[in-house]
This record gives sequence, structure tokens and C-alpha cells, in this order.
Amino acid sequence: MSSTSLSPHIPDIDLITYYAENKNSIFSRTSPWTKALLLVFVVLLITVSRSLFLLAGLYLIILFLYLLAGLPARKLVAWYALPVLFVLSLVGLMAWGERGIPLLSWTVGGFTIALTDNGILLVITLLIKALITVTYSLFFLMTTRYQHVAGIISRVFPAPLDQIFLMAYRFLSLTLAMTASLFKAIRSRGGGLVHSLRVQGRLFAGVFALVFIRSFERGERVHKAMLARGFTGSYPLSGEVPRPGIAEYGLLIVTGALVTAAVITSPYRGW
Amino acid sequence: MAHIHLEDGSFTLFWVIIWWVVALAVIGAALVVLRTRKPDPRRITVAAFCTAAAFALFQVDIPIAGGVHISLTPLVGILTGPVIGSLIVLITNILAAAIGHGGWGVIGANVLVNFSEVVVAYGTYRGLRNLVPDLFSRAGIATFTGLLCGNLAMIAIVLVSGIQGVNQDPEQVLAGLTLIAAINMVVAIIEALMTGLVVSSIGKMRPDLLESERK
Repeated sequence: MSSTSLSPHIPDIDLITYYAENKNSIFSRTSPWTKALLLVFVVLLITVSRSLFLLAGLYLIILFLYLLAGLPARKLVAWYALPVLFVLSLVGLMAWGERGIPLLSWTVGGFTIALTDNGILLVITLLIKALITVTYSLFFLMTTRYQHVAGIISRVFPAPLDQIFLMAYRFLSLTLAMTASLFKAIRSRGGGLVHSLRVQGRLFAGVFALVFIRSFERGERVHKAMLARGFTGSYPLSGEVPRPGIAEYGLLIVTGALVTAAVITSPYRGW
Repeated sequence: MAHIHLEDGSFTLFWVIIWWVVALAVIGAALVVLRTRKPDPRRITVAAFCTAAAFALFQVDIPIAGGVHISLTPLVGILTGPVIGSLIVLITNILAAAIGHGGWGVIGANVLVNFSEVVVAYGTYRGLRNLVPDLFSRAGIATFTGLLCGNLAMIAIVLVSGIQGVNQDPEQVLAGLTLIAAINMVVAIIEALMTGLVVSSIGKMRPDLLESERK
């Protein structure tokens, strides 16, 4: 884990940036606009599809691309923890009431709940959908340079949203490192041991308050420093975001056409 | 979690578009309000650092009741108000989607859930200023109320949109969602206590940072 990592189950921003800046695979050289548009297509496709076969195929393709780019597989498995938790917390309970062939039933006080084949299918389908976007999002971040992500932000978002976003993105690593170092300081003094709710709550609340106060103070310091350098509320970026090449345009047109066809023919558009 | 993040594929395309449009309308209104005010670069800088802090702290696993992640959106509301707060929840949701905590297509729905928490927490905190002068109690009440509304918003959004692949009666879906919300509200109590402590600490060290304390 790097200095900014707070948990092995949460993607490590420093590690992501390391891969984005140092890898030189074909995907790192692909235009960030191409990868961003492909992300939109992926999201559209999984929104209109319920075919387990198609979704599993898409997941395997994206996982293959992730591995081909030389990105860390073990980390990816650990980073799946929270998306899986989110899906299970939403449909894990609903799966028990789904119509279908009961595979497991449970009677409590005369009330029977059953886990059916459709219930399990529902959970698996939503899990695969979540894993597809998580894997592609991380693939995108780990193959796109910081400067290019910042360039996309400045071009996509209106002011002052882009300014807040760019500065937040710029200082994310610093804030994460500050938070991690505060928790390291607590652990080194025995703070990681199990305490009462009151003690633990006060300890963590103190750190949270400190992180916010230090962030505010750093924000004010940075603001003064930026004012001294002529800051007027606009945070300009230097450098261009590479445009797609001819082959990439071809890929986008073909993929776009396929996804459009999938959207038009899908019975699950919801209108 | 005191609330849940919906993942991609939960809603049909129609509802993905609808919730995105509503969320963009909210963000658009916040941007209009910000642009009509006197330009304040300091406010922008501080909002950026608040976003980074909120995103960083959202990732902390608090070793209470087996491990709890708190959402911090009510705290963002109390500290920055609903206008900047709405921009912060959009950015944190985009950053969260980038690392897999919530889907890209459902950012609209997730932003609306978080926005309801920000607005209600801010309104409650500010509204109770004379009635409950104690910062800890006021922030705790505001946080719990905000998260309760967030859960109600989540239930409403899911009930209206439906979840793809779920073939249950609305009553059955409501029963399932109510159970999820009840579990979330247990965590909301912990978040309310934590936020109360955080706000009272900030109130002691830097009272000027509490947006809702200003006249």
C-alpha cells in the first residue's frame, strides 16, 4: 500500500497514478477521448442488456484488456469488494422474494422466504454489470495520464465546477496522504485497538475534524499563494488532450453503431 | 454505509436519462446561483479542498460495529451549504464512480439522493440554531434527518424506476427497500454521532468555517 492508501479494498490513487504515468502499452498511447467514449458505450450496453452470456463476454473482454495493459490483477480483485457489497446490499435481500423455482427456503414464525433461480440470476447479472464498469473505469484511469484526465475535466465541465473539480483532483493525493498519516499516528499510539464506541467515535471524529480543518487551511494558503501569482478564479491548463487517430475513429464508429443497434433493439430501454 | 450507491445496470435507460436530467437541472441551478453572486475565488479553492477531504474520509473504515463507512454528505451540507454542497456531491460521485463506488449511469440518481441529504442537513442545522444551540446535538440531529431523507429519496427513486430484472409487486419491493433503509439508519445513528463530534470540534477550533453559523 502506498502513502495514500487507507484500505486494501479501496483503489489506491497513488498506485493508479503510477501506472497511468509509467506504463507505455498501446492503451496508454490511445487517445483519452476514445477511452472515455468507449466508457459511455460500455455503460449504455450494460444498461440495455440483461443477457448473462453477452455481459459475461463483455466482462471477459474488458478483463483481458486490463491484464494485457499490464495492470495489477490481485489489486483488482481486492478493489472489487465495495462494488460487490453495494450490489448485494441492494438486491441481496430482494433476491429472496423473486419469483421462480425455489432452491432454498427458510420458514420463520410461519412466514416462508425462498431463494429462487431467478433471484440468483438477478444478483449475478447485476454483479457482472457492476464489475464490468469497475474494471473498465480502473483500466481507463490506469492508462490515462493525469494531465489528460485534467484536460478532459476542464473541457467537459462548465465554470466554476471545472475549477473546483480540477483543484480537488490536484490535491486528492495530498489529502489522502494527510489522512493516512493521521491514522498511522493513531495506530502507532495504540489507537487501532478495540475500544468502546465512545472512545473510538471521539478518536475518529477528531481525525475527521482535523482533516477538514487542515484542508480548509491548506485551501486558504494555496489560495493566497495563487493570488500572489495572478490567480483570478480561473485555473488554466497547459497541454492538449491527444485526439483520436483514424483507426480510433473507425473503432468508435463501429462500436457506436453496434451499441446504437443494441439500444434500439433492446426490450429493456424502459420506455 | 448510511446510504447505498446504486451500480450501473440497476435502472433502465429511460430512468438513467430521467435522473441525469433532474440532477443536471439541480447542478445547473447551483451554477446559476454561484455565477450571479460576486465572484469569490477563495470559496472555490476552499470548496475544492472540502471535496478532496470528503472523498478521502469517505474511504475510511471506522472500526465500530464491525466496520462502518460514513457518507459525510450531511457534514458537507453543514460546512458548505446547499449550493457548493451540490457541486461537491456531483464531483465526489464522479470520483467514486471512477473507482467503482457507484455506477456512471446512475450518478444522476446518486447525486439526487446525496443532494437531499445535503439540503435537509443544512436546513435542519440552520433552522435549529436558536432551538438547539449545542453544536454536537444540532449537527447530530441534522445529520440523522438528512440521512433519513436520503434513504427516503433512495426508496422513492428505486420504487419509481424499478430495478432491472426484479419481478416483484411494488409492496414486496417496498418491504425489501424498507429493510435496507432500516439497516442504513442504524449506521446513520453512528454517522450522526460522528458528525456531531466533528462539527463540535470544528466549532471549537475554527468556528468561522461553519457556513451555517454565518448570519
